[in-house]
Amino acid sequence: MSSRRSRSRQSGSSRITDEQISDLVSKLQDLLPEARLRSNDRMPSSRVLQETCNYIRSLHREVDDLSERLSELLATSDMSSAQAAIIRSLLM
Amino acid sequence: MASTSSQAEAAAVEERESGGKRKRGGATGEAEGLGEEAQPSSKWRRRRVHEIYSSKLLDAIRLVRSGSGLPASAAAAAAADTQPRSRAVREAADRALAVSARGRTHWSRAILASHHRRLQAARRARLREPASPPPRRPTSPPGKGPKTPALARKAKVLGRLVPGCRRLPFPALLAEASDYIAALEMQVRAMTALADVLSTVSASTSSSGAASSSPA
Repeated sequence: MSSRRSRSRQSGSSRITDEQISDLVSKLQDLLPEARLRSNDRMPSSRVLQETCNYIRSLHREVDDLSERLSELLATSDMSSAQAAIIRSLLM
Repeated sequence: MASTSSQAEAAAVEERESGGKRKRGGATGEAEGLGEEAQPSSKWRRRRVHEIYSSKLLDAIRLVRSGSGLPASAAAAAAADTQPRSRAVREAADRALAVSARGRTHWSRAILASHHRRLQAARRARLREPASPPPRRPTSPPGKGPKTPALARKAKVLGRLVPGCRRLPFPALLAEASDYIAALEMQVRAMTALADVLSTVSASTSSSGAASSSPA
């Protein structure tokens, strides 16, 4: 016997409506770089997921490249704590 | 009335797109008020978060260089190669990012938990204690929401890309992905700024011959 009361007790991992999902998907779509260029026409959910995966992978690659660049910069320069304070202030 | 709010909105969008790390001002920002904290894109674009992260990033990276304390960086120093060091930098940057998330998201907790597990494993290996397997939750939550097989496949791929999100139900996964993307974008901005500052500083130091402490 399915109990309707379980819906209120559960944290929402079941009984998710289509509307909630499409709302989350459209929010994800707004984060994608493509969405900022074009008008906000709705892409199919599978396309949004695909582009999201691609975007995350490209961000990971960027972070890896930056990590490599930073490690090279650190290898060549010595940094005293005074210099670190200056660099910190330059970043703010 | 409608034109003013759309103008404020356009200004806010413009400010965001011009690469500003500033908080969204104007009517749009005020109206969202409490809701602003919930939106990942605005949360990770605030100047304060960026500054906090940049500072943590600088500290974490300096630790990698001197190789103190962390077994991961000790291994990198032993290898004496740039490749493990860049990986150590990447992991330090990710940990600093996870800390900046203030523990409210699965991905941030997963990054910190995996680092903690690795430290414990390394510690046990040094002490030659028998390793205990890390506790894993065997449950996979049912009811992931209505999905076609194609969507399910892509959702699985997405779950592998976002740390700690393999077994999340679909809606939670989407929410985590949104936050993770916004955080990664901030990470890229901060690391780029740091690399630019460091390359400028090291260029001016080497060209002037003596360590000049006055910034331009």
